[in-house]
Amino acid sequence: MKILIIEDEKELVKNMVEFLRQQSYVCEVAYSEKEAREKILLYDYDCILLDINLPDGSGLKILESLKKNNKSDGVIIITARNSLDDRVEGLNMGADDYLTKPFYLPELSARVSSIIRRKQFDGSNIITFHEISIDLLGKIVKVHNIPIELTRKEYDLLTFLVANKNRVVSKNAIAEHLSGDNAELLDKFDFLYSHIKNLKKKLSEAGSDDYIKTVYGLGYKFST
Amino acid sequence: MRLLQVSLRSSLLYSLILVVISIPVSLFSIRALLDEDVDEALTLHTDQFLRHIKTFNYLEDLETDLQVLDQLSYDIDIKPSNETVVFKEFQSVSLYDSTEHEVRPYRQLSTSVDIKGKHYILTVRSSLIDNQQLVYAVGLVQSALIILLATGLLLLNRALSRNLWKPFYKTLNQLKAYQLDRNEPIKLEKTNIHEFDDLNTTVSLLTDRNRKVFVDQKEFIENASHELQTPLAVFQSKLDVMMQNPSLSESDAAMIGELESTAQRMSRLNKNLLLLSKIDNEQFNAKETVDVKEVAELLLSNLKTMADVDNISITTSMQPLKITADKTLIEVLLSNLFNNAIRHNIKNGHIMVELSDGTLRVINSGPPVNLKSEKMFERFSKQSANSNSSGLGLAIVKKICDICSYDVKYEYQAGHRFTVNF
Repeated sequence: MKILIIEDEKELVKNMVEFLRQQSYVCEVAYSEKEAREKILLYDYDCILLDINLPDGSGLKILESLKKNNKSDGVIIITARNSLDDRVEGLNMGADDYLTKPFYLPELSARVSSIIRRKQFDGSNIITFHEISIDLLGKIVKVHNIPIELTRKEYDLLTFLVANKNRVVSKNAIAEHLSGDNAELLDKFDFLYSHIKNLKKKLSEAGSDDYIKTVYGLGYKFST
Repeated sequence: MRLLQVSLRSSLLYSLILVVISIPVSLFSIRALLDEDVDEALTLHTDQFLRHIKTFNYLEDLETDLQVLDQLSYDIDIKPSNETVVFKEFQSVSLYDSTEHEVRPYRQLSTSVDIKGKHYILTVRSSLIDNQQLVYAVGLVQSALIILLATGLLLLNRALSRNLWKPFYKTLNQLKAYQLDRNEPIKLEKTNIHEFDDLNTTVSLLTDRNRKVFVDQKEFIENASHELQTPLAVFQSKLDVMMQNPSLSESDAAMIGELESTAQRMSRLNKNLLLLSKIDNEQFNAKETVDVKEVAELLLSNLKTMADVDNISITTSMQPLKITADKTLIEVLLSNLFNNAIRHNIKNGHIMVELSDGTLRVINSGPPVNLKSEKMFERFSKQSANSNSSGLGLAIVKKICDICSYDVKYEYQAGHRFTVNF
């Protein structure tokens, strides 16, 4: 699975690459618009992470030419500009998702995996992890092929953890993922504990192993 | 006191004093002139009389004739006298006029004369009634003239000053209406009066400069916040990578967790600052019909899990309210109010949300704070030890209300009570 990261901040790129590589993605990097155009012309990518503010131009132009050439690469716009106009413009031009800086790397990898899945498996899109299977389109979770009843937040929590399996995901990242843009009250982690507790209970009641581990001081890890 | 009144008052006072002094002065001087005239006439009259008498010296019974004359003539008295002193005396007297039945003023000249070796006193008098009327008439005309002149000048002065000061008041009114954070520069007309043009140029320069500083400041905040986003992202991503290290000790892990919370606070603060400057720049100006009740219900249902953590109960009594506004702004406004109500609450507390007659009330059972109600909406004027509060939430509420001309109030009355008048 190939990902192109178009971003001029080298330190950020380094961390993104390191994090995504652990998920066995192949990452290539372009630090400027020119570089990016060359790479896009030569190769196809499953997902492109596109910074709008590039030293030699706007990422939106790259997006424009991608769409003009009928490239089917999934595009996630990454920007420091949290302006509504940019977001609407980017999505209208055919970007698949939008992420504002600063973001959590688990959030990024969840979005990347969701886009890649959407691009690759049209129709049926099922993640299987041992006895657990998640139907992303129908939003149905089955354990040993028996559907279990999850609330919306519990479902989101499970998919988020699975998308970052075998990696530590911080409480903050989960909380922000669950509460979206209006995450003003993130200091109230207790709500997170109760969601985790309920999810674990439901999974184990259905006969699943306990994959969700607490990492002291940090957060959680969905591990095999 | 207005400037116009001050200048008018002094000129009015001056005119009044002038009028008060000038009327008696002119009356006296006219009377003096007339008296002098009458005196001359009386002297002439006496001289003529004496000359005529001398031509009648041959008459035997002149003495009797003089007696008759004294009786007949009203204007001339000639009476024998024993005085030997020669004298000539003018007098103003009031005598009773039997025909008109009133006392009238007279001017008389008494002279001692010798006729045929006998002493007489000759008194010639002249009525002053006509003169007095003349004096009064002249006085009246003059007073009328002076009063008219004074009032006319006053009115003229007033109208002129008012006209003259018009550009000044125009400038003043514009300055009063001027708001630094509104996008309209001050527009001042040319007046042709040097001082006012000078004033206007200075005012224009001053407001333009202030505006520029203000805009620069605003842009600086926005740019600074934007520029901070990338380093924050680097910081955040480093922490995310560090967390994956399986050989982390517990204390290292705890420290990374704390660092991440701090990073999150920074980024939230930054986002709120950006939001504030965006609201300031009126970047939220989509106008659509927003059902406040609907938005509030959705937000409250999302916040329920947060409220449940501290077992805070939320009661609502809302009537539908449709307003025309930017939906994002209304969402931010409401969620900040609700978040605030949850954050600054007590365990097992409650929140009351009321929406009726275009007024939203959010009441929460938090403990009273030592913050003045007007300080409540200021940036970073937080009081609680709740370090995760950004101190910007209510400032954003206030800013949104200012932009949309809603009225927002805070009071402490059996709980914190926020009222928004849409």
